Amino acid sequence: MFHPLRTDYAGRSGPMFRLALKTSLLTVLTLGFYRFWMKTRMRRYYWSAIRPGGHPLEFVGRPTEMLTGFLTAVVFLAFYIGIVNLLLMFVSFSLFEGQGQAYVVSLIGIMPLIFFAQYRARRYILARTRWRGIRFGLEPGVKGFVWRSALWWGLTGLTAGILYPAQVWALEKYRTDRTWYGDAKFEQGGTWRSLFGAMKHVYLGLGLVVFGSLAEAIFEDPIWLVAAAMGAAWTGLGWAYWKANRFKRLTEQKTVAGAGFRCHPRPGKLVGIYLLGSLIIGAILTALLVLSGIVIGVLAAMVDPAVVEAGVDDIADLAQLPAWLAVIVGVVGYFAVFLFWGVLREAFITLPVARHFAETTEIVNGEGLAAVRQRARDEFVEAEGFADALPLGDGI
Amino acid sequence: MSAASQGPLEAWADYFDGETARVQRVLLTLAPDRLTIARPDGSRLDWMAEDLRALADQAEPGGLVLALAGDPVQRLVIADSHIAGLLRKNAPQLTRRPPVENKGRILGWGLGAVASVALIIFVLVPIMANQLAAYLPPGGEKALGDATFEQIRAAMGEDLMPVEACEAEPGRAALDTMLARLDVADDLPYPLTLTVLDHELVNAFALPGGRIVIFRGLIDEAKNPDEVAAVLAHEIGHVVNRDPTRDALRLAGSVGVLGLIFGDFAGGTVVLFLANQVINAKYSQAAETGADDYAHAVLTGADLPPAALGSFFERLRDEHGDAEGINAHFSTHPQMTARIEAALAAQARLGHETTPVLGDGDWAALRAICGTPAEPGAEAGDVDEPAEHPTSVRPADEAAPIDGGGRHAGD
Repeated sequence: MFHPLRTDYAGRSGPMFRLALKTSLLTVLTLGFYRFWMKTRMRRYYWSAIRPGGHPLEFVGRPTEMLTGFLTAVVFLAFYIGIVNLLLMFVSFSLFEGQGQAYVVSLIGIMPLIFFAQYRARRYILARTRWRGIRFGLEPGVKGFVWRSALWWGLTGLTAGILYPAQVWALEKYRTDRTWYGDAKFEQGGTWRSLFGAMKHVYLGLGLVVFGSLAEAIFEDPIWLVAAAMGAAWTGLGWAYWKANRFKRLTEQKTVAGAGFRCHPRPGKLVGIYLLGSLIIGAILTALLVLSGIVIGVLAAMVDPAVVEAGVDDIADLAQLPAWLAVIVGVVGYFAVFLFWGVLREAFITLPVARHFAETTEIVNGEGLAAVRQRARDEFVEAEGFADALPLGDGI
Repeated sequence: MSAASQGPLEAWADYFDGETARVQRVLLTLAPDRLTIARPDGSRLDWMAEDLRALADQAEPGGLVLALAGDPVQRLVIADSHIAGLLRKNAPQLTRRPPVENKGRILGWGLGAVASVALIIFVLVPIMANQLAAYLPPGGEKALGDATFEQIRAAMGEDLMPVEACEAEPGRAALDTMLARLDVADDLPYPLTLTVLDHELVNAFALPGGRIVIFRGLIDEAKNPDEVAAVLAHEIGHVVNRDPTRDALRLAGSVGVLGLIFGDFAGGTVVLFLANQVINAKYSQAAETGADDYAHAVLTGADLPPAALGSFFERLRDEHGDAEGINAHFSTHPQMTARIEAALAAQARLGHETTPVLGDGDWAALRAICGTPAEPGAEAGDVDEPAEHPTSVRPADEAAPIDGGGRHAGD
């Protein structure tokens, strides 16, 4: 009997907070260009924190290759986005006399690019991830992914989102079946129906929302809105259930080199992390605001004691400040809130979520893994440039 | 090696050879100049101290993950914090980063990206916007302008209420009188929609589709009706030249490209906004001059003083000039003096005294269009008694330019 390989998690909120704060500051100060270094350094930390069988993952991507990839993508995308957006705007206003159509058409036009970017980004990340010294990899196959994604998103749209779980499974299977660990190939088991159960609470919650709203419209009794509100809350909790269960179902049906996985993430824990994390973030941001208010007050008192004596009874007093000072305070405040928000989210939400998923996942039947052999390095010029340039909205 | 075989200089670690995924439990022996790795099969590896490299940004606080300089795959994972600490002290180049590869390629793509973006934002998009603006059907332009107008009203409003449009009937009549005097109907691709917004901003602007917006602040600031007429003529110039439509199309093209470059880091929107202002400033200076030229011609044709445009700008410059600070770099401000001089030159060509565009009564009505007469002398009653002005005077109703001032002054 080969013991299951438990996953340790070595990441801590404190070091992550310091790393995120330092790299975010540099990113802001360099007008965004440090973000490739920031991303690489954060990934190194996140990857090394995950230790299946006690052995850390390693992210070996280089910031410079991400920068090159980004520049490559800009050369192509600038043309597409600039010219195509302008033409779409023109056509939309000429034919439809509105801009809504332009946004829709523009979004549809950019969707294939986003699918392209998603696959290429996954390929880059896997190619630069190692465990026990062995590279992961994703086979070339972006064309198939793009048309499958387009088809599945079309189906999802036509069925008002009901087929979304099938889409998630199908696209994950396409990518997993092309994923390698060294010379061992991953396989995604299950069928297109595998994930529907994970979505059941979302369906129920949304059903309740629709039912409550309809009943309210028909009977004109606001009591039905309570049902709708309960449905909304149910949907929110159901989404946590979906996230945890989707991960469990997809991961447990993956196999590689004879090994499988066992996961038991708890939706309640995820909800707890989000609630507690939001509380901590809110408290820290509030404390920072109060503290900066005090600092400004003290500084003002040192410059002109009369300010404090008079007190800021009237908001109009603030308008007496010189314009440049107000601009500086405004700009610094704006950046500070965004920056701290992002940094705190990494430390108190992203990291605890990653910890929970890692610690509840173990590898079973891992005896075949030791025989896995190295694969060749995937030189990948464009890295994840397209994903960097397009707003994909995914953190890691 | 004998010196290194003391107890505290040994530790167990995990070694990965980078060929298979096998975990090799190895015994490390630390010597001043090297790290010896005893593998389970009995073979030994010597990693020289100056070749040791530690992976950066690792989560494990006490331990170390070592790599060998020049070797991309071998790894040594050391959990023993004592040995890790000794290595941190004794390996001279532990934190040295690998040299940056492909500097040439980065530079090449960098230049390519800059060239491509510059070509698109400064050449392709403006050319296309200029060409396409002329082909956009009036209905489309109007829709574009209406959408923007509602956005601006909403953005400038307070407490979620959009800014009020001022509709006091006598004031509207005065505006119509002013429009009729300017007599621009023949130049326009579509009828004008003139709106006064109840906001203290001293400004006016034109939107696609012939929509012109004047803020109450501008009417308050003006010393006489000729100055309002001059600004109106200037904005009509923008409409005739289709500048707002060009701007909107150019914006649609360039905003996406700029968003691409600056990404979504905190505050990217601010950089985006400023960058767009810089681009716009270049084009708007030409557009402003064009609209000024048009205004001079229209004012001269209507027997109104072109100098009013200049005197208004001059007062703005004297009152607000220095306060603009940073704005100056992003606006047409540096040209202000040239614009005032151009207005004076046009005035010199006209060369004689003129009748004001509105009489005193209409001027008072215009100043009260938002229900808040700016001068203490103006009577609030003017607004509340529509019976005094039974019919509004519209340019479409009256063929000839009207001496509107005299008529209403008689009321």
